[in-house]
Amino acid sequence: MKKVLAILLALCMVFALAACGETGGESEEPASSDGGSASSGGDTIKIGMIGPKTGQNAAYGSSMEEGLTMTIDQINEAGGILGLQVELISMDDRGDPNEAQNAFNSLISQGVSLIIGSATSGATSALTSLANEEGVVLISPSATADSITTEDDYVFRACFKDTLQGSIAAAYVESLGITRVGTIACSADTYSQGLVDAFTVACDERGIEVVAEESTATMNAQDFTNQFTAMASADVDLVYAIYYYDAVGPFLVTQARAAGYDGIIMGADGYDGSLDYVSEGVDYSAFNDVVYTNHYDASDTSPVVQEYVTSYQELYGTTPLCFAALASDCMMMLQMAIETAGSTDAASVRDALADTSVTYEGVTGTFNLDETGTPVKGAAVIEFVYDESVGGLDGLGTQLVTTISSDEIA
Amino acid sequence: MGVFLQTLFVGLRLGSVYALIALGYTMVYGIIRLINFAHGDFIMVGGYTLFFTVPLMVAAGLPAWTAVVIAVIVCALVGIGVELIAYRPVRKKGTNMTALITAIAMSLLLENLAQAIPAIGPNPKIAGTFFSTGGFQIAGVTLDYVTIYTIVISAVVMLLLYVFTQKTKIGRAMRCVSEDKGAAILMGISVNRTVLITFAIGSGLAAVAALMYIAQYPSIYTTLGSLLGLKAFVAAVVGGIGIVPGAMLGGIVIGLVESFSMAYISSSLTDTFVFLILILVLLVKPAGILGKNVGEKV
Amino acid sequence: MKKAVKRGYIVNTVVLAAVYALCVVLAAALEGNDNFKLTIVPSIWQCCYLIILAASLNLVLGFMGQLSLGHCGFMAIGAYTAALMSLAFQRAGVYDEKSGAVFILIMIACAICAGLLAAVFGVLLGIPALRLKGDYLAIITMGFGLIIVNVINNLPFAGQNGLAEGTAAASLYATGLGFGSTAKVTYLWFAIAVTILCVALMFMYIRSKYGRAVRAIRDDEIAASASGINTGYYKVLTFAFSAFFAGIAGAVYACCNSSLSTSSFSFTNGSILNSTFVVVMVVLGGMGSLTGSVVSAVIMFFLNYQIGNGSWVHSLPGFIQSIFAYPMLVYALVLIVIIMFRPKGIFGTYEFSLLRTPGELVRLLKRHGGGKKAAGGKEAAAQ
Repeated sequence: MKKVLAILLALCMVFALAACGETGGESEEPASSDGGSASSGGDTIKIGMIGPKTGQNAAYGSSMEEGLTMTIDQINEAGGILGLQVELISMDDRGDPNEAQNAFNSLISQGVSLIIGSATSGATSALTSLANEEGVVLISPSATADSITTEDDYVFRACFKDTLQGSIAAAYVESLGITRVGTIACSADTYSQGLVDAFTVACDERGIEVVAEESTATMNAQDFTNQFTAMASADVDLVYAIYYYDAVGPFLVTQARAAGYDGIIMGADGYDGSLDYVSEGVDYSAFNDVVYTNHYDASDTSPVVQEYVTSYQELYGTTPLCFAALASDCMMMLQMAIETAGSTDAASVRDALADTSVTYEGVTGTFNLDETGTPVKGAAVIEFVYDESVGGLDGLGTQLVTTISSDEIA
Repeated sequence: MGVFLQTLFVGLRLGSVYALIALGYTMVYGIIRLINFAHGDFIMVGGYTLFFTVPLMVAAGLPAWTAVVIAVIVCALVGIGVELIAYRPVRKKGTNMTALITAIAMSLLLENLAQAIPAIGPNPKIAGTFFSTGGFQIAGVTLDYVTIYTIVISAVVMLLLYVFTQKTKIGRAMRCVSEDKGAAILMGISVNRTVLITFAIGSGLAAVAALMYIAQYPSIYTTLGSLLGLKAFVAAVVGGIGIVPGAMLGGIVIGLVESFSMAYISSSLTDTFVFLILILVLLVKPAGILGKNVGEKV
Repeated sequence: MKKAVKRGYIVNTVVLAAVYALCVVLAAALEGNDNFKLTIVPSIWQCCYLIILAASLNLVLGFMGQLSLGHCGFMAIGAYTAALMSLAFQRAGVYDEKSGAVFILIMIACAICAGLLAAVFGVLLGIPALRLKGDYLAIITMGFGLIIVNVINNLPFAGQNGLAEGTAAASLYATGLGFGSTAKVTYLWFAIAVTILCVALMFMYIRSKYGRAVRAIRDDEIAASASGINTGYYKVLTFAFSAFFAGIAGAVYACCNSSLSTSSFSFTNGSILNSTFVVVMVVLGGMGSLTGSVVSAVIMFFLNYQIGNGSWVHSLPGFIQSIFAYPMLVYALVLIVIIMFRPKGIFGTYEFSLLRTPGELVRLLKRHGGGKKAAGGKEAAAQ
């Protein structure tokens, strides 16, 4: 009896909590339920999304879903694509390649042939061959590994590939006149290691010497002290360290300075949003001399970016992570391709996307796709600045240093 | 020299956090022979409690670290709840293995329940600083205050715990139950009550560990405790599980191994070295560094 | 007695062959069906490696009574071995199309090598580790699992850059064994055959004198060694045998996936393929029941698949849906409930047997009067 009671109590607790969660979850529903009601009246365009909505990388997937939901709502309000309403069917891959495949197959059996996903290179690479085999368009917002897209395939993306972003970073380093650099990467992560490898190769070409290489076991590493101590004793002027905002904001930068390293720390698009993750009360001036390459600059004054950031903030109350912006750009690419093709047939949408002369104007920049289906776009080099006259967390901000176009690297 | 000192400090500060967590593992394991996989998640609970109560404390004009009192209470309650709802019924009916599976299930439950709560969500939360920043300069290397606090606090907690288990009535009851349950019952000790108290103390320690950990690494997320918990458990085993000073020693050893292998061998293979040390220690001394080998009775 | 054993072998072989033939015929009949290709076949593949994995862990956990928390480490070894080997063959130009006798031979060779290498690691780990028992062994094996993942991540030829050419190609190998949807249908017979073979071998193992010795060790190690059983030898042997099948499961996994990443073999992750959940499957099915492991692997997979992809989920009331958005939460609850009400697992130590189970079912039905006769599973069962 006691046992039954205990279980009932536990269940009640869970249901109560989940019911609280429901209000949060409900806000994501409208897009799909709108689409559902519209579909009874006629045709809709079904767009599939695959992303990690739970698990370790849940933040990426939920950002993607938020960005997509917003963009699709806007498209639908403006009359849809080719006069048809767009319906988002979003699936959770939990960051796992197996689940990603299951989600992909189940989307196809629901009749979806245009899919946006997945967030990481690991999960996306499990889908690319399937997408080609089934003839389904797959656009990844943020899988950066070079091998994701190839010529003559159904796979496209909205982000840089590693070699491009690595060479942009090297070009920037060269422009600073720095010749001794160090790198820190997570050896188990395709994004981190891939970028650092590309950067190292590009540095070699430009005569920049990589004198120290350090690594961590996971992307969620919390202690970088030893790595930066090594950097300080190797006497490098710049460290290329590739981690995500949730490690950069709270740990990496402050620990680097505490370890006695006071050169430049350089990162990539994963640094975007780091300032929301800075612990209150630390020495904010540590964030000076931290630069990173990014697809876009959230403080950019261009109307596209500003409009996006404002409406996102109105809807969700936070600044969009780059995952949200990239997912929205994927949707925009799809929209243009469908309109050009004049149909939602996967093969013709693919052909429209494969046209390298089309210029996309997205939140993350203006770009064309190359033959493999990867954007050729320049990057914004952004730095963190601490304004002492303002003080506190509010004193931290970002500032555009320069933009490097893709022509400059070739 | 500078690198060596820096590495030593990093090792000590990692080690003392591991030690604090290992204490909780050791106490629970000592008394019910269960690897409490949910213990790591108690740290997560403690972390979130701290995150949400610190602003309240600051608003009330108290220093931020006083929030740890509430965190200790919340964690102790969660610990007692887990014991009452899940562990005790299973222990009555099942085997060691089912109890272990329950522990894994509780760990899964806590992690995912936390993520399902809208106030927590998937994004990490960043805590403010608890203690004054800065530190001493030794041979050109900074030893910051947080590290010193962590080491001192975990040493004090360990000392208190040691005195508690040796001198007080409840402490003696705890040792008695872990030694021989049947005899303990015959001596008039309420086993269930003793186990509950152990859970309360062990989980409360997790909250203290959460404070120390977050003061050092201010990011709080739902899987915060899983790898941390595993490493702390390894520390407890290395030191000799069930032995309070063993947890401290094991924690420091694991912290130092991690730090030195990172600095001098390979920074991405640290986990391998941590677990290799575990395997080596267990092979040479199966009961841990401070453990006593007890022969099996036929 | 002898006669009964012989009869058991004949009956089981015939039935297994029949089941296998049925599967192959069904697969051929349904080949053009989209739903079959996209949903059922990938599901069967995934079930296959989960079944082999769970059953192989049961040898150690259920029959030997030793908890191993790093079983997926062996699977990782198997998966990477098979993947790299097949890729090496492809690079060497031995085959380029995924068809023909040569490819099938290579596939089989890869699977066997995967198993053997995993078994070698099983011996290497088993000799020192099996001196310890219970929770200590659990921790050591868990450590082993983490080390394997950590080391594979750092291997220059396996982890990051793989065998893939060019820079920054990550741990993705796009070719080699990895089957697409059509190839999965074509080679469905391979997955089913391997699974049936492995489970049958494990069955024969536990029914042999080795199996009896191992169970004697589980029940009382000291008594066993007093009756002349070389406990160390049998423990390491069983451990290696179990690792062998985990390695084969890895090879099947490598066939099933076009890319490998070590996160799939870690201690916990977002999916049901990890060292923790294998233990869960074994305990749920019943420690000491291979039937149980097979059934619970299928159930776990089905539950996981349906929660993630089932369309019926959308027709549930809103608050249940919001719980289902966190599948791990559901599993945790299901686990706790099952452990509380049936701590020995679904099957306990019961084994399905073609010779006995029908009779027992009839008796059971008579006692309860009526009730629907449960459909016989297609599990292998030696008498």
